[in-house]
Amino acid sequence: MNFASPWFLLGLLGIAIPIWLHLFFQKTPVMKDFPSLRLIMKSVEYLSHQRKIRNLILMALRIALIFLAVMALARPFIGQSAGAGVSSSAPTAFVILLDNSMSMGSTYQGVSVFNTARARALDILDQMNPSDKATIGLINEPGGLVFPQLTWDKEALRQSINNAKLTAAGTDIASAILPALELLVPLTGYKRTIYVVTDMTESAWKPFVEKYDLERIDKGIDLVMVPVGGTAPENMAITNLETDASVVMLGRKVPLKLTIANYTNKKQIAKVSISINGERRIGTDIEVEAGSEKISVLDCSFSKTGMNHLEASIQGDALPLDDTRHLAIRVFEPCKVLLIKPDNVNNTENNDDIFIKFALNPLNKSKENIFVVESRLTSEITNVEPSNYSAVILLNQRHIPEVFIKKLSEYVLAGGNLVTFLGDRVEPDWYNKYLSDNLGGGYLLPARIFKRVGNSVSKAVGYQLTDIDLGHPAFSIFGKDGNGDPSRAKIYEFFQVRPNPTAMMLCRMSHGLPGIIEEKRGRGRSLLVTFTPDNRWSDWPIKPTWLPFLHQSLIAMVTANDLTINGARPGMIISATLNATADNKVTLKRPDGSIENVDGLTLTKGILHFTTKNTNMPGYYELAVGNKLVSAFAINPPAEESRLTRINLRKIPRFIPLEQEVGKGKSVKEKVTILRDGYDMSGIAIWLLLLLALIEGFFANKPIDERVKNPI
Amino acid sequence: MDKTRKISRFLDPELLASLSNLEIKARTVVEGMIEGQHKSPFKGFNVEFSEYRQYVPGDPLKDIDWKVYGRTDKFYIKEHEQETNLSGYMILDTSGSMSYKGSGSLSKLDYASTLAASLSYLMLRQQDSVGLLTFADGISKIIRPRTGIAHLKTICNELDNIKATEKTNIGESLDIVGQTMKKRGIFVMFSDLMDDAEVIINKLRQLKSRRHEIVLYHILDSDEIRFPFDEMTIFKDLEDKSEITTDAFSLRNEYLTRIRQMINTFRSALRKSGIDYLLANTSMPLEANIRSFFTRRQAILER
Repeated sequence: MNFASPWFLLGLLGIAIPIWLHLFFQKTPVMKDFPSLRLIMKSVEYLSHQRKIRNLILMALRIALIFLAVMALARPFIGQSAGAGVSSSAPTAFVILLDNSMSMGSTYQGVSVFNTARARALDILDQMNPSDKATIGLINEPGGLVFPQLTWDKEALRQSINNAKLTAAGTDIASAILPALELLVPLTGYKRTIYVVTDMTESAWKPFVEKYDLERIDKGIDLVMVPVGGTAPENMAITNLETDASVVMLGRKVPLKLTIANYTNKKQIAKVSISINGERRIGTDIEVEAGSEKISVLDCSFSKTGMNHLEASIQGDALPLDDTRHLAIRVFEPCKVLLIKPDNVNNTENNDDIFIKFALNPLNKSKENIFVVESRLTSEITNVEPSNYSAVILLNQRHIPEVFIKKLSEYVLAGGNLVTFLGDRVEPDWYNKYLSDNLGGGYLLPARIFKRVGNSVSKAVGYQLTDIDLGHPAFSIFGKDGNGDPSRAKIYEFFQVRPNPTAMMLCRMSHGLPGIIEEKRGRGRSLLVTFTPDNRWSDWPIKPTWLPFLHQSLIAMVTANDLTINGARPGMIISATLNATADNKVTLKRPDGSIENVDGLTLTKGILHFTTKNTNMPGYYELAVGNKLVSAFAINPPAEESRLTRINLRKIPRFIPLEQEVGKGKSVKEKVTILRDGYDMSGIAIWLLLLLALIEGFFANKPIDERVKNPI
Repeated sequence: MDKTRKISRFLDPELLASLSNLEIKARTVVEGMIEGQHKSPFKGFNVEFSEYRQYVPGDPLKDIDWKVYGRTDKFYIKEHEQETNLSGYMILDTSGSMSYKGSGSLSKLDYASTLAASLSYLMLRQQDSVGLLTFADGISKIIRPRTGIAHLKTICNELDNIKATEKTNIGESLDIVGQTMKKRGIFVMFSDLMDDAEVIINKLRQLKSRRHEIVLYHILDSDEIRFPFDEMTIFKDLEDKSEITTDAFSLRNEYLTRIRQMINTFRSALRKSGIDYLLANTSMPLEANIRSFFTRRQAILER
């Protein structure tokens, strides 16, 4: 309770007057003999109780009269919530958090919910007094405060509300409320309020309420909910667009998985249109049951290598932003793989590469194959340029020319991929010296090599692959049932190695020694297999898991440098590394066609590290170095924003509802004023005063006992 | 009318209070009544007309009613019935509460004494025997019933010497009265009945059951009946000297309710038991109370 004229409260001292009257204005009794006190005693006993009650009632009434008179003069205000325990004249510090997440883009009764929200925010701001200070926050993903500090500049706040834009982002309530609380918590001398103007979507509020204990928020800060919009409008959305294909080859069919959600109360037909690079390719109708999602698989093929923009859309509805979804897909030509096998001895053809060749491209046809294999003897590689190949495979080499080692090292650092299979020709000292320790340009292997373990002749002991890293792309395919188990292969002989500190162990031998190791080198990768790729040291090449392992390993290496961003949402920070120099001009083309020059790139070992947070707009983004398109990514609205179901306000603790129904009740402005200042109770106090005065008069003049009408 | 007013003046308690001798008071009261009425209402107390019968030879000629003979030409003898003497007991409460003297000129005890003496005088004049018994916490004094007007002096002397000081125990006193007064008679009791009503009523019923006729004068001061106090008062009990401080004004209605309840309780309970209850307000003239008594007495004799 606060008072407009608190100095009148001194009048409460007047309460002492009836007490004083009650105690000190008692009559001095006179002495009187009487025949017998028998009847008087009984009468007194009977009346004393009634008299005591009546006297107390009269005293209470008189106290109440004085109290009410004082209250009427002091003008109490009750019902205000803001600033409990703070003087009524204290200024107000408040934060208006305006929800501008994608769900606010819907319409209610023909009016944009977001525009309504801005109007409500302006209404609240209008009640700001000159001594008040405030700031504006935006609830999206990531949300935050427009002004990091509270300000008295009402006009600037008004401008920030007017300039607030609807986003396609999700709703991260905490990202706006927490900084708002940080601002308000220290301001104990203020009435403090956070107004949240939102459409109250359950998908956003429920996780927030479950994660944070709102009851622990400083009780001196009022959390006021200003709901906008009404019942959830009927909405359909494309909530997901993806492909399971690990690599998309030119001209090959790719299955697209399209998820359509129907958040209406009846079955709907979505008119799906899919276009690639702006050219409409597929048009189909998909029926979706009420309140459910449907995943459809559509085949499509690409006619252009490099980055492709795939766009799926359905007919527009109440929330247009979720009716279109984008996907960035890199389309590959067949990957050229260079196999370097040992020189022939005694003119006998060397078959060390036979299992790999057979696995990668049995007929070695270039068309419609992922890999095209080219085998070279060690003696033939001096003039070969590794950068012409997607991957280079060293097979059981004794020595390789130092010139090629240097080329190979540059190749890997620039993003090339090297796979090394060990075998009976390998000399560990040479490998360690030229491929591991040569920091001048070598340092290609992910491990140092020691001695051979096992016996491939007697095949007395068959080691198995254990501790397989099913999370690595090379082995992830075996994580699904029915795709085989590499641990069934037997390894009879292999090299004991010691992995580098930054190397990753993809699997071990059954007694614990490393089996397959991978390490990132610059932008490239180096994979070391400690045994031969044929059936001399192992029976794996004749097992069904050999082929998928080889495919997945190479695909993973080839595609590792792609900017593969799945599930990127508006507002997310996107990072990538680019092969470029500091002089290269890096540009980002946004979905609306605008081109942004990316500055402030950091250069490390010839690689540019690119980061951008200008990703508010959903759509297809292209990243170019110079004039060359090097990568692309897609930003899509969060799927949960499409579900417009509202949370019940009672499920949100601590929040005070402040609703306005059109044409009914008090306006938001009035409610904000009441919340801040409370109801003026002086009028009620005066009426109560009059009523109690009447009651007091009645009580004071009413005899205690009127039973005797006609005395004897 | 003038004479009646004069009598009333004689019987006014204030005037009686100026007379020091109770016998004189009694005589004043009674003679005043008789003189004022010329024809005593109690005429024929001893010799009462009974009936007419036809004259038969041998009857005394003085009994012939000549007026009837003049109207009818027949001799009729006027027969009279001789009344027997009645034993009367004046039972007087002398407890402390009877000493109360309110705004009037007589205390309750003085008023009761005068009333007792007056009745005694009247009864003695009519050849009844009259006795006196005083009580408070117990029986204080007993004067056996005797006839003859000279006995009035004895009674009045005793009444003059009474002082009200003790507490009341009416129930026990009535027990003793019942044991002491065994001869059937008329008991005239004067008391303010400031004791347990239920006990008093029960004891009087017991007394009545011994075939005594009982007339109860409930002596109350005007202050007790009207409770004319209106300020904060310390009331002091005349018997046990206890005190109570109270606002008399606010108490008045409740007190009046209770005193009326008390009177009604006695009146209804005693009348049901055949006991005459007479409320005697000390501010009222004695005549009315005496007349009431003799009306009752006549009714008793005719039973």
